[in-house]
Amino acid sequence: MNSTNEPRRSTSSAAIQASLKRRYARERRFQWYGRLAVLTGFVFLFILLADIVSKGYPAFTQQYIMVEVDFDKEQLGLAADATAEQIADADYLGLIKRSLREMFPEVTSRSEKKQLYRLVSMGAEYQLRDMVMDDPGLLGQTREIWLQAHSEAGSYLKGQVAADSDQADRKVKDQQVLWLDQLRAAGRTESRFNTTFFTAGDSREPEMAGIKVALYGSFFTLLVTFFIAFPIGVSAAVYLEEFAPRNRLTDLIEININNLAAVPSIVFGLLGLAVFINFFELPRSAPLVGGIVLSLMTLPTIIITSRAAIQSVSPSIREAALGVGASKLQTVFHHVLPVAMPGILTGSIIGMAQALGESAPLLMIGMVAFIMDAPTGITDPATVLPVQIYLWADSPERGFTEKTSAAIMVLMGFLIVMNALAIYLRKRFELK
Amino acid sequence: MDSPKALNSLSSAAGENVMDTGSTQETVASEAAPRIPLDIRDHGSVGDAYETIGTPLVENAKMSARKVNVYYGDKQAITDVSLDIGRNEVIAMIGPSGCGKSTFLRTLNRMNDIIPICRVEGEFSLDGEDIYGSGQDTVLLRARVGMVFQKPNPFPKSIYENVAYGPRIHGLAHNRAEMDEIVENSLRRASLFEEVKDSLDKPGTGLSGGQQQRLCIARAIAVSPEVILMDEPCSALDPIATARIEELIDELKENYTIAIVTHSMQQAARVSQRTAYFHLGKLIEVGETKQIFTMPRHELTENYITGRFG
Repeated sequence: MNSTNEPRRSTSSAAIQASLKRRYARERRFQWYGRLAVLTGFVFLFILLADIVSKGYPAFTQQYIMVEVDFDKEQLGLAADATAEQIADADYLGLIKRSLREMFPEVTSRSEKKQLYRLVSMGAEYQLRDMVMDDPGLLGQTREIWLQAHSEAGSYLKGQVAADSDQADRKVKDQQVLWLDQLRAAGRTESRFNTTFFTAGDSREPEMAGIKVALYGSFFTLLVTFFIAFPIGVSAAVYLEEFAPRNRLTDLIEININNLAAVPSIVFGLLGLAVFINFFELPRSAPLVGGIVLSLMTLPTIIITSRAAIQSVSPSIREAALGVGASKLQTVFHHVLPVAMPGILTGSIIGMAQALGESAPLLMIGMVAFIMDAPTGITDPATVLPVQIYLWADSPERGFTEKTSAAIMVLMGFLIVMNALAIYLRKRFELK
Repeated sequence: MDSPKALNSLSSAAGENVMDTGSTQETVASEAAPRIPLDIRDHGSVGDAYETIGTPLVENAKMSARKVNVYYGDKQAITDVSLDIGRNEVIAMIGPSGCGKSTFLRTLNRMNDIIPICRVEGEFSLDGEDIYGSGQDTVLLRARVGMVFQKPNPFPKSIYENVAYGPRIHGLAHNRAEMDEIVENSLRRASLFEEVKDSLDKPGTGLSGGQQQRLCIARAIAVSPEVILMDEPCSALDPIATARIEELIDELKENYTIAIVTHSMQQAARVSQRTAYFHLGKLIEVGETKQIFTMPRHELTENYITGRFG
């Protein structure tokens, strides 16, 4: 037998040998395509991140200018027995203007004065007001106070504007540059961590604008989304997978759930507007409605991934549980769901991440409003991070460019925290 | 299907190949070629209306099945099978793959209920009670008729939890001490306790295949069933683990009634008192194990135990 097979084997092995080289070359080529693809992806990701971070990180610092303020009662128009209301209504702007004029006595013309006043933030007067409200004893005293710089002056101090560029191309005028250089030389400017960004709501002035409302809004919205979409999605998946009879009706439901996952998100926004706001008269701009709308959008994703996770649980586990006399419900809740939980959580986190990044449906239900006070509950008006980013990206002021990128960084930080939580939960459910 | 090579080599010492089944395969084979195996689809002399040879019925049976027909959709998997399982006996069910022996086993504790397209006809009783009757609860039935599966399938939980799960859901233990006792006793009876007593909180899936299967047996006996059904319990195990399980079956028959499906004829011969031979959904022959393996009365049984089917 061997002798008759011998020559054939050698010719076939020669043929295999010849083809081997080609086959290995093909494999190597394919590996290189893969590496190239990964590299390309990485490069784009790096460009994106580098761009956002480089644009956004200055937003985390804030510039201050030290101004000597004389809390002159006469200037403020306050009597010795002024009430709190009178103190609140006093003219602190005039106080600041006078202090600035005193620092630069050479400024006389109207237009120059106007430029001078633009060195400090519009919010500085409220800063002073709050100080006096806290401590009325300040009245009549003179204090050196760090006032927030105007965003344009700030951007010069941060080095974002070159002093030798054409004056027409920048908001900070030559005269202002001169003053700022003088202040810097005198040690009267300072850069601090921007707490305002995290403690304030939206504002027309970039240096006073913060992310707090959007952050709270996103948090409350996702809370509502999770507590609606997760239980309903998982229950629906369990019922469809484990209990529902297989018939035309359940087939139809399955097809429709799959189709629902592909519906453009703005359609859900229209639905939310028509049903929840116009019909049920739920509050406009509230995280409650936003959460409901986003949970509708997320539900198909959660149902589909949960079903897949439940399906992939080995039938032998079910048999084992039924075999010792567990009821169907016990089998599902004691054995199938714990095993499927990591998959369900992965699906849910994908859905939640989608919801976190969604802006279009929220525009429809009014979460695009200009809101300064942080929401304290799910029914208070709020906005969300992506909408805030959209709003800032749309603003003409230069100061908002860095805010936009900084808000994106906050959004990504939010996402990372959320994913980390999901991974932690998943690891806890995964058994060796 | 069984591996034809294995069966051929098993039967190569069986001597003369006499093709006496009336099959059309009786061809002129070259002298060097090995014997041509019989076609498994050959029914031989078994028609649709057939009678089981031997003694399918016993007196004072623990479980009995009468005129059982099982269908998967349009396909009939079991045809007109009547069989008794005696008290405290080990009955082995053998036969080629797809012959319906596992299906029959699973009808005994209604495991087939979970397959939507499966339809079961016939009369079943456990101690005279109708298993498929409207008053019968599958949860209670499965607690009384436990099952060990082909592939070891411990829960992905600790060894302790694996055993304690059944008693817990049935409320068999009233406190932690009672539960500990049930778990220890079950593991001891499954001769696993000595090996795992220090690692009861380790996951059951981390044990070896043989240990896992003994864990599954411990899990099954923890709820004190009356009958234990075993569906090829050793098919995934090596000979040493298999020997331990067989020893265990031998000990368990003191207290339990056991029905075991197996592909290993040696195993059937070693552990069982009675053997039932299934062929393509029909119960061909039932008898004392010794008699089945030494003097089979039906030619299909003989062909099977001599390894003539390929």
